[in-house]
Amino acid sequence: MSAGAARVDRRRLAQPNGWWGAALFIATEATLFGTLIATYYYLRFNATQWPPPGVEHPKVALPLILTAILVATTVPIFFAVRAARAGSARLAWLLFLVAVVVQAGYLGVQVHEFLSELDKFSPHDSAYASIYFTMIGAHHAHVVVGIAIELWVLWKLLGGLTNYRMIGVRVAALYWYFVNFAAVAVVLTQVYPSL
Amino acid sequence: MTTALRPDALRRVERLGRIWEDRPGVLGWLTTTDHKRIGLLYLFTSLAFFAAGGTEALLIRTQLIVPNGSTLSPAAFNTTMTMHGVTMIFLFVIPISTGAFGNYLVPLMIGARDMAFPRLNAFSYWVFLGSGLFIYAGVFTGHGPNAGWFDYVPLASRTYNPSSAIDFYALGLIFNSISSTAAAVNFIVTIFKMRAPGMSLNRMPLFCYAFLAVSFALVFALPALSVDCAFLELDRRLGFSFFDPAHGGDVLLWQNLFWIFGHPEVYIIILPAFGIATSIIPTFTRRRMVAFPMVALAEILVAFIGFGVWAHHMFSVGLSTITTVYFAAASMIVVIPSAIQLFAWLTTLVTGRPIFKTPLLWIIGFIVFFIIGGLSGIMFAAIPFDQQLTDTYFVVAHFHFIIFGAAVFPLLGGLYYWFPKVTGRMYHEGVGKLSFWLSFLGSALAFFPMHIVGLLGMPRRVYTYSPQVGWAPYNLAESIGAYILAAGLVLLVANLVVSYFRGAPAPADPFGGTTLEWSTSSPPPPYNYAVIPTVTSAYPMWDVEDREEDVRKLDRGEMVLEEGHETPASTVLDANLDEVLDMPSDSPWPVVSALMITGIFAMLLTGHLIAMCIFLALFALSLGAWHGVEPQEA
Amino acid sequence: MGNPGRELRGQRVAAAARRALLLAGVGCTLLLLAGCGQSEGGQSTLHGESDQTRKIIHLWWGMLAAAAVVFGGALLLLAIAYRRRTREGLPAIGQDEDVSTGLVVAFGVVIPVVCLVTLFFISDIGVVNATSAPKPGQTRMNVSVVGHQWFWEVRYPGTTAVTANEIHIPVKTPVNVRLTSADVIHSFWVPELNKKVDMLPGHPNNVLLYADTVGAYRGQCAEFCGLQHANMAMTVYADPPAKFKAWLANMSRPLAPPASPQAKAGEQVFLTQQCASCHTIRGTAARGRIGPDLTHLATRRTLAALTIPNDRVHLADWVANPQRVKPGNKMPGLNLTGTQFQQLLAFLQGLK
Repeated sequence: MSAGAARVDRRRLAQPNGWWGAALFIATEATLFGTLIATYYYLRFNATQWPPPGVEHPKVALPLILTAILVATTVPIFFAVRAARAGSARLAWLLFLVAVVVQAGYLGVQVHEFLSELDKFSPHDSAYASIYFTMIGAHHAHVVVGIAIELWVLWKLLGGLTNYRMIGVRVAALYWYFVNFAAVAVVLTQVYPSL
Repeated sequence: MTTALRPDALRRVERLGRIWEDRPGVLGWLTTTDHKRIGLLYLFTSLAFFAAGGTEALLIRTQLIVPNGSTLSPAAFNTTMTMHGVTMIFLFVIPISTGAFGNYLVPLMIGARDMAFPRLNAFSYWVFLGSGLFIYAGVFTGHGPNAGWFDYVPLASRTYNPSSAIDFYALGLIFNSISSTAAAVNFIVTIFKMRAPGMSLNRMPLFCYAFLAVSFALVFALPALSVDCAFLELDRRLGFSFFDPAHGGDVLLWQNLFWIFGHPEVYIIILPAFGIATSIIPTFTRRRMVAFPMVALAEILVAFIGFGVWAHHMFSVGLSTITTVYFAAASMIVVIPSAIQLFAWLTTLVTGRPIFKTPLLWIIGFIVFFIIGGLSGIMFAAIPFDQQLTDTYFVVAHFHFIIFGAAVFPLLGGLYYWFPKVTGRMYHEGVGKLSFWLSFLGSALAFFPMHIVGLLGMPRRVYTYSPQVGWAPYNLAESIGAYILAAGLVLLVANLVVSYFRGAPAPADPFGGTTLEWSTSSPPPPYNYAVIPTVTSAYPMWDVEDREEDVRKLDRGEMVLEEGHETPASTVLDANLDEVLDMPSDSPWPVVSALMITGIFAMLLTGHLIAMCIFLALFALSLGAWHGVEPQEA
Repeated sequence: MGNPGRELRGQRVAAAARRALLLAGVGCTLLLLAGCGQSEGGQSTLHGESDQTRKIIHLWWGMLAAAAVVFGGALLLLAIAYRRRTREGLPAIGQDEDVSTGLVVAFGVVIPVVCLVTLFFISDIGVVNATSAPKPGQTRMNVSVVGHQWFWEVRYPGTTAVTANEIHIPVKTPVNVRLTSADVIHSFWVPELNKKVDMLPGHPNNVLLYADTVGAYRGQCAEFCGLQHANMAMTVYADPPAKFKAWLANMSRPLAPPASPQAKAGEQVFLTQQCASCHTIRGTAARGRIGPDLTHLATRRTLAALTIPNDRVHLADWVANPQRVKPGNKMPGLNLTGTQFQQLLAFLQGLK
């Protein structure tokens, strides 16, 4: 079955419809993040002091390290797609599992950070906190969705690799490439006042 | 096809019919993924919202027909005027043009059997219906949005608007944007990948170029509105400070994000109308569109440049001179692609042999109103003039000439034009012409005096006015015009309803159209085309040999694709055949998923976050079931 | 196909209707000109009483003339399309795709570019200089206007003068008006004197007011601000300099103690019923900041931001039943006895 799916994939001239659909959906999400980041800088340039008095400057090291770990999951995902396109469902499955585990760990640490920062400064008190938590929260929500998509792919791949599931694998990878790229943009914005 | 089918061909056609037909009854409509049925669902729902928005307009005009009117209290007026804008834009004109016209016609025009994502198509309809009912639930429970369709803060903030009216607005618009985003993605992939082999991009109908432009504009514009509404809800419900100057927020943040969406939105509104005009004009002038490549490029440029002009809606907020001057310059640049299209249409009319039947009359009316609305729009690019006349009835005149005159007139003309194709009956031509003239003269009387009363200083969104300022006679004229317009529209609907039951049977091609939909029967069979059409030019209906080749292909069994629910996918630029796709048929998951999303938004509105999470989980499960159905593999 | 006779009739009707439309367009233009001679109490943008508004009016007429030419030209093309509907091609030239495409380029690109560039330089480089916000040193006086739902709070920095809904300025004097809002977004607009400028909380703006001639100039809020947006108007009075000085001096003074016993009793009613919790009357204990300053109420020509004239009957109506006069405004009705009411009226009418 997997070999058949790989054959269909090789024969195709254009990107499959599902890939195009995912790419366009990702375009809307990218615009969403662009809007959030633009809002951050808009509010920043409206302010005299940023962060406002009473709010600590953001940490630099931990966010950057965490993001690097997340971005590193691009590697197993990239090779998972390669494996799937070559017809090896099992290898693709294992590589996705590695990615999911790392991403889940990342998410756990990030959620803990998020909640502890909320204790220290609140969106009620400043536009800075409002955009800070919204932008970061939106990123974490995308990570949750990405993990859900990968879990679905893992489950489906247990039944073997069909052309349809191959497209699913490529869509999941495309989504994660975007999330990881957005993560870099978000973290650089997040730590910007401390740079 | 006038010749009788040979036995082989007949067998193939019957087999296709069995494969593609929908389930019978209400269940069939709830689970349909047929783009034609979905187009009709969109049509009837958006026309119902048109009636609602029109009623709101008539209430406004009745209130304003004399000074100190007593039809609407100030509170009722504010809700009515807000809902008029919200309904007409989000629940009528966008759904009817993308959901009804786009859905029904784009696959037919490109020679395909369905959209790229049929279930997503159904989903986008059900979400649209849900979002419309959601917003009107607010109206009917006494919490109708009431801060204007652009809902400026701080008026829309919790401090000045504590009731849930604004929550219905903000959540309703985010809800609605899911529908439009899904539709936009679907159109782009359909237009890129599902064109009949041989229909390279330069042979694609101008109607499809317009929809490609609209869809890209939706993809990049809607997030700004959704983010803005999300910020508003976070401020209102969780006490965030995006728009609160006391805590570092900015009231202008709302306006900037709103108009970053809002300006492309008006091009999204007008582009389908341009697409319809460029379909009707070649048919009724019996010649090719002049400067076809320039028109195609202009349609795309309008959408693109339209992203750079948003702050011309904010010329009175105190922006720096250099910012205002930049936006004025950009606003002038966006005139050029529209001017190109306008003169292409006019030149085609002059050099062709026009037949002034009802559909073309609506397009002539569109051209007249588009010029007036476009000229008043250009005047607004003169900054000092804008700073006098913005927020007056002069701008109300401008956008009604553009939205009603230039966006809606082609839609109404399109209803007449494609009525025979969709229903298999001819409409009554005489009543059609009368409905046009009533609507045209009614619109002119309703909207033209608004220029004058705006120049005389009447601001917009006022529920009454003093008898001493001299605005009364113009308001009276406008209200009379509105009633005449309403009569014209009622006559149009009556014409179509009666003709549906009693009209003469329509042939496949009553008007001599140029695009592929006219080659199939009226109404089209569920599979659209027995043979995927042969395409070698941009005017396929005028390529007689190609159409004859289609008949021969049916006999030979070539490009009939009858092994399953099949349609071809092609490469993006040149439309070389790439693969044969097995498309999904009836599915309950789109409507179920839309129901779950409705639950999510209802719980967000009421603040029941645990219930919201349950609906979210159910939505995820229904998405899983949706993707659990896999196509047949080759 | 329909009945050919009916088709021909239909087309003649169409042609006649097109002519009617042209006449209507001309008629409307004439109507427009009628708008020049505005009625008493109007706020027409076509009635310019300052250099700024006159420049904008000239710009308008120029643009209208150009627009009429374009519109007329398009109607002409439509008429040609109609008259030549049985013949292909352009008049005289015939069917030539290159010429047709060239026409699209000429009329769709070249001519619009020329017109737009011209318009841009005239309006967005030229006129915009005259109408831009006043620079420091350009004006001789400052006024501060704060927008409220639904009235205008007017102050004169450098003095203690406070009033509402009326702005007095000396004639032929450039005045800088500083604009902000106490609540939602409003917009300050006196069409005969200058453009509109929004009043935004957190973003103070400035507009120049300059009146050529002595007179009263009506203005109105031009940004939707809630239930009584329609009834938030004001008047700018351009007074001769001496008269202005006297007026300003009066506005700066606190209220003299009320003369008659009736008015004295009325003052007590004002202070003990809810009035003082919203309104300030300098010279009394009333220091409320929610409603307008009433210190010199009796000198104003209207009440409730130009909604009703300021005479005894309307004042009584307003105080007795504010929700009927201006539904949704923030002033509650009062529960007064007949005597208290008369005393209050006497007091209010003495606020000169």
